[in-house]
Amino acid sequence: MKVIIIGAGKVGYQLVESLVNENHDVTVVDNNQNVIDKLNDNFDVLAMKGNGVSSRLLEKLDCSSADLLIAVTNSDEANIVSCITAKRLGTNSVIARVRNPEYVAELDFMQKNLDIECIINPEYATAQEILRLLLNSHTSYAVDLAKGRVRISEVPINATANLSNKQIKDIDLPESVIITAIARNGNVIIPNGFDYIYPQDTIYIMGERAAVDAFARSMGVLIDNSKVRNVLIIGGGKTAFYLARKLEQLGINVKIIEENLHRCRELAEGLDNTLVLHGDGTDIALLKAENIDEMDAFVSLTGYDEENLLVSMLAKQLGAKKVIAKVSRSSYDSVVETIGLDSAVSPKLITARDILRIIRGGKILSMSLLIGGRAEVFEIIPQEGTPIVNKPLKDIGIPKGVIIGAIFRNEQIIIPNGDSVIKSTDRVIVFTLESLIEKVKKLFNTNGGGVPINELINSAKNSGDIASL
Amino acid sequence: MNSLIVLKTLGILLLCESVAMLPSVAVAIIYKETAISAFIITILIAAVVGFLLYLIKPKEKMIRYKEGFAIVSFGWIIASIIGALPFLFSGALASPVDAFFETVSGFTTTGATVIPNVEGLPNCLLFWRSFTHWLGGMGILVLTLALSPALGIGTFQILKAESPGPISSKLSTKVSDTAKILYITYLAITVLMILFLWLGGMPLFDTLCHTFGALGTGGFSIKNSSIGAYNNVYFEVVITTFMILSGVNFSLYYLAFKKRSLKELWQDTELKVYLGIIAAYILVIAFNIYGPNFNSFAQSLRHASFQVGSIITTTGYATTDFDLWPDLSRTLLLTLMFIGACAGSTGGGMKVIRIHLIFKYIQREIGTLIHPRAIKAVKVNDETIPETVLSGVMAFSLLYFLIFIVATLLLLTQNLDMISAVSAAACTLGNIGPGLSAFGPTKTFAPLSDFGKNILSICMLFGRLELYTMISLVFPSFWRK
Repeated sequence: MKVIIIGAGKVGYQLVESLVNENHDVTVVDNNQNVIDKLNDNFDVLAMKGNGVSSRLLEKLDCSSADLLIAVTNSDEANIVSCITAKRLGTNSVIARVRNPEYVAELDFMQKNLDIECIINPEYATAQEILRLLLNSHTSYAVDLAKGRVRISEVPINATANLSNKQIKDIDLPESVIITAIARNGNVIIPNGFDYIYPQDTIYIMGERAAVDAFARSMGVLIDNSKVRNVLIIGGGKTAFYLARKLEQLGINVKIIEENLHRCRELAEGLDNTLVLHGDGTDIALLKAENIDEMDAFVSLTGYDEENLLVSMLAKQLGAKKVIAKVSRSSYDSVVETIGLDSAVSPKLITARDILRIIRGGKILSMSLLIGGRAEVFEIIPQEGTPIVNKPLKDIGIPKGVIIGAIFRNEQIIIPNGDSVIKSTDRVIVFTLESLIEKVKKLFNTNGGGVPINELINSAKNSGDIASL
Repeated sequence: MNSLIVLKTLGILLLCESVAMLPSVAVAIIYKETAISAFIITILIAAVVGFLLYLIKPKEKMIRYKEGFAIVSFGWIIASIIGALPFLFSGALASPVDAFFETVSGFTTTGATVIPNVEGLPNCLLFWRSFTHWLGGMGILVLTLALSPALGIGTFQILKAESPGPISSKLSTKVSDTAKILYITYLAITVLMILFLWLGGMPLFDTLCHTFGALGTGGFSIKNSSIGAYNNVYFEVVITTFMILSGVNFSLYYLAFKKRSLKELWQDTELKVYLGIIAAYILVIAFNIYGPNFNSFAQSLRHASFQVGSIITTTGYATTDFDLWPDLSRTLLLTLMFIGACAGSTGGGMKVIRIHLIFKYIQREIGTLIHPRAIKAVKVNDETIPETVLSGVMAFSLLYFLIFIVATLLLLTQNLDMISAVSAAACTLGNIGPGLSAFGPTKTFAPLSDFGKNILSICMLFGRLELYTMISLVFPSFWRK
């Protein structure tokens, strides 16, 4: 597939990386020569310096033959104009990133009248993600699949846990639960029964929701009293604004601490019941004065990863029950796992996930990027005639690093073994390392049969929550 | 200051006023009254002076803050002086102070009178008295703006200076169109009320006078015992309803009409607070007067509703002598005199929106004590109220009480008891009309000294023009080049 990406910032770069790994033809336009050089050095892409709004440049890039244009520059307006121009010039589908809160109410209008297939708003998506994490009873990351019947949960292992320093085959796991991955020092291991689990590891368990919850509870990562009533947010950016507005609507008490007085006023004007505090979020006296120990959740959303990480540790120490931090840079992934943070969210990964979901489209019903994007879980309906169906799993030759985690058939969850057979009416939950995506695709043969991208996007819209962004 | 444009505008105002006296002449012709000559002489004076001023050709047509304030302040004073002439020429009132008081009371929609026996006045004067309420309710300069589109640039200053409330907004792109919209809305409601009263059996002349009095939230009646003279529940219900309707921001009616939905009305915070206050006061007072004053609860409710509706909208009609009510009810009515009606209505007082903002402000201050670093926006109808407007409201409220206290002290030098002085200052500053004790609904302001009457006349003008417009003229910096 031929994809043009306008703007190679954080999200653009992540997209290039993912798309190149999946063997797409990628053209990147950015107005910064350094970025162009970096792209050319690292990836096999066509990187051009220029203005993505210019119709002449787009024509030169032959955008009429492009399947998809993704505009992710830091200007909403430029993204919109870029998409409209490309569409007029014949690009099949366009995706624009629009992040200004003032436009949120107009996204529907843009999709319908400006003919932009999909509009993504990373801050809004991040806020949604955090909301999901907050309302989820797990203190750490958890993903629900197969209409909520299957759950994948992240379980950090501490030294006192009774599973540490044990081989997986010796661990007494509930019947339908499997350990799909171990994240250790920033590496991902797809384990077998002979692998050991060590303290400071994070394991990902998958299985029937109730069984996963029971196990998570025994590991102390599931809080039974899941009712979140008080939330403290540090940093009053766009994400904080969206999150506070959502929480407000749910009747949850929200406090936001923001350093910039002008921004405080804007937040106070935009929000109704949120308490906006002007101050430094790292100020312990202020945090204590605002009863941090009584907070059900603490969310750190400042513009600095370092500050988010440190202040989250501080909050945990001061007694906040659930701590979530925004961490944009993937270099910190290994730190996140070791410092005892409940969850870290990355707007970059969330956006990339959403866009990839649209690109892959088809029968992928939902997808999550785990462990800093190095592993993925997705739910898919396999098609008749693809290698994966009607054959016992042990005969298919599934590569190590790919796990068929569960089969959802007739409203029943089946945890498969080597003799299980997948049918074309099943929903299959697949756990895979990022590097093996191409091989997994061959198994399911998605995206290979020349399915028009529009159809893919539409089905993705129907299945996912992208359209609601 | 651009004095020429001020004089020219005042000229147009006088021409408008002379036209506004023509209906009274018609009344005099119908009832064959001799007072007709008083009106004809006044109309001639106003028309000639007005026309001469109109001939002035100012070099610059720009109306700025100063000109706006000057036009509105002097406009109201001159209109009141001219409006007082028929009372003097006809001999109905001998003293110029009394005549000025009566007319200011009319234009400012106060309804405080110095005429003990109104039933003895000729009909044309009664009509003029009530008609001044109707004109003053929406604003005599708003009327001038509506009638003379080519008045000059910056006429929004005039609209802002004359319309009540902390925030003025245009309803259309042009000031003159906005003024027209306001008057057409006003006219439509007037016709509706006339129909309701007239078809209910009130004589046409009485209907017209009481409609003008109720919609302008004035309160002049053509009966000595006000609406109580009819002792008719239907009239009281109609008048109460329309008084309360006149206390609502008129632009809401226009917006509701334009969108063909009442949703606009119910979403307005000020309206909700206004109706809430009315309901709460009616209930408390009805229980309070049930027993001591009335034997049945239905009667208590009837009179409580009328009096509360009359005082909060600053009309000042009465169906009973509320000065005989228990102290709790009297004091509650006194507090209503301060609250007043909604911004952008024909009513006076401090306005419900200001009271609402004061409470929101206090709430925020208390919140700041608990969370010293909290930043909170004061919002009304989901819109943030700018800090400048908030501090303006606070200053207005303090100034309002300051003027009230000074006026009360000055009145106390005139041999009055405390309740009389306090209520007289409150009911003229709030443009209500009748006060308590010596100035109760069955009494008049006639016994008051000339000094006292002048103080109250000034209070009425201050109250109607929302303090700043008038008071800015007193500051020396206003006159400095």
